[in-house]
Amino acid sequence: MFEGMRQSGAVTDVRRLGPHDHVCWGFDDFAEFRSAALAFLEAGLGLGQRVCYVGEPSDGVYEALTGARPGAVQLLSVAAHYANGLDPREQVEVHAAATKEALAAGFTGLRVATDVTPLIRRSAQLDAFARYEHQADHLMATRPFSAMCAYNRTVLGSDVLTQLSIMHPLTTETAPYFRLHASSVPGCAAAISGELDLSNADLLDLALRRAEFRPTGGELVLDAADLTFIDRRRLAALADHARDLGATLVLRTNRSILHRLTQLLNWDNVRIDPTS
Amino acid sequence: MRTGAAAGHTGHFHEALLHASDEELLAVVVPFLIGGVTEGEPTVVALGEQHAELVRAALPPEVVDRVGFHPGGDMYRRPASAIRAYRDMLADYTASGADQIRIVGELPTTELGTTWDWWSRYESAVNHSYDEFPLWSMCAYDTRTTAAHVLADVARTHPRTARPRDLHIPNADYVDPGRFLRRRVAFAPDPLELTPPTVDLKDPTTAETRAAIAQLNDGILPPRKLGDLQLAATEAVANGLTHGTPPVVVRCWADTTRIVITVTDRGGGPTDPFAGLQAAAHAPNGGFGLWLAHQLCDHVAMDHAADGFTLRLISGDPYQRINRPPDGKTGP
Repeated sequence: MFEGMRQSGAVTDVRRLGPHDHVCWGFDDFAEFRSAALAFLEAGLGLGQRVCYVGEPSDGVYEALTGARPGAVQLLSVAAHYANGLDPREQVEVHAAATKEALAAGFTGLRVATDVTPLIRRSAQLDAFARYEHQADHLMATRPFSAMCAYNRTVLGSDVLTQLSIMHPLTTETAPYFRLHASSVPGCAAAISGELDLSNADLLDLALRRAEFRPTGGELVLDAADLTFIDRRRLAALADHARDLGATLVLRTNRSILHRLTQLLNWDNVRIDPTS
Repeated sequence: MRTGAAAGHTGHFHEALLHASDEELLAVVVPFLIGGVTEGEPTVVALGEQHAELVRAALPPEVVDRVGFHPGGDMYRRPASAIRAYRDMLADYTASGADQIRIVGELPTTELGTTWDWWSRYESAVNHSYDEFPLWSMCAYDTRTTAAHVLADVARTHPRTARPRDLHIPNADYVDPGRFLRRRVAFAPDPLELTPPTVDLKDPTTAETRAAIAQLNDGILPPRKLGDLQLAATEAVANGLTHGTPPVVVRCWADTTRIVITVTDRGGGPTDPFAGLQAAAHAPNGGFGLWLAHQLCDHVAMDHAADGFTLRLISGDPYQRINRPPDGKTGP
């Protein structure tokens, strides 16, 4: 595992996550979250990152952390940290500035753990937060910023958790087998991975809207190296989304199934580019 | 302007060419090709290697050079692929200003046996699928080696039969493709279908279906063909779940040579008689998925029974069937 490389897929052990990793952590009871957050932040300290726990002192995470040097461990309340009414792009600016600050203070980067559950009580908040997750992931792909976004499954329900899970490169959730997140491949607007078919049709539509792609040069380029399956209708959904944005869909992959499908369908605004 | 027997005809002038000897074949094909070349029409031969060489040897040198020879075996791997390839070819010729295109072709003899069912649908469908082009085509069948029930289908699917001495005789048995393709034909079972299925899933998700196929494969199909079959099965199950009537039942069998999959639901199946053979831009009720399946598998059969619709996909050896008398195959 390279130091700067991002991981994606299912995750069970947060201690192995690197300086750019972004994980969706679903939990059923708070004690479970507490120990995972602690392990995640301790691993960050081990990497020389500044770590920030967003929550309450009484949660028992902040208290348990000991930084090697002053300023290594921070505590922020959820209310103070997400004070902007959650404008996704503004919130990402806050993280970008905090990462810059951590670097200026001599740390290798920033690592944040939060139980985000209290922020997602209404559907408008869910939508804004899912959009934010995607923008934040782009920051993490390029900057030494790493985050654990924890969600209480028993409070939010599995449908909501799934909607948030698919916006992360790493997740504890196994269904519904696809993810849309930032790519570290130059020129790619995002990475799409897993399997896309009838079973996740509605989720794909939601994820595409929430990713808020802004194609450049008339092309929406997606890193599809880990997209193991896509059916015709989901390829059509991706192509339609690109078309609505005035772009041609370009999928970067070497998988023969995607080459085969696009060759048969011969749609004018879909192209498959091999990965180098 | 159209020339020869097709003069004054609009669209596809589709003829059967029945022959019982090389001489009979040449007596029709040679004047047909010379006529096309003389008129400056795109003139194409898509016969098997043996007949192609025979024709090549019988043509004057100045004609041979102006006839396009396409290996028939490549052209006729799958009905849906043949329709696509021919439509592309015809569109190119028409765009270049051709007033008529002449093609003589024949199916490989392997396709006149157990897999004839989908080729009979092809022969009927192309009356419609090529009808937007000024095409004069002849489909050669050797009456000495072709089974009687196949020849009966040839008469039902070709409006005319070409004979030596420039005869073009209407076929009294010809039926409109819409009617021919709507007949219920229960397909002959692959012998594996008479054994208990290895996979038997009720209302599976598409992902479960793919996983079951992958597990069953165990090296039978190379990865690319496995992926093709998984895609075809996904489209079939998605069609069943979206357009069919539950339950959707997926059954799979395999031996070392092939994987056989049936997808059954309680609905009536696609209503478009051309479903699977030609890709319509917005094919209704799952037509596009069926077309993909026809491109991705080595054989596809459909059965519209009273109690439901079954789609069968075969990848690998497509030729194994339990024989039934031809009369027993045709229902009401």
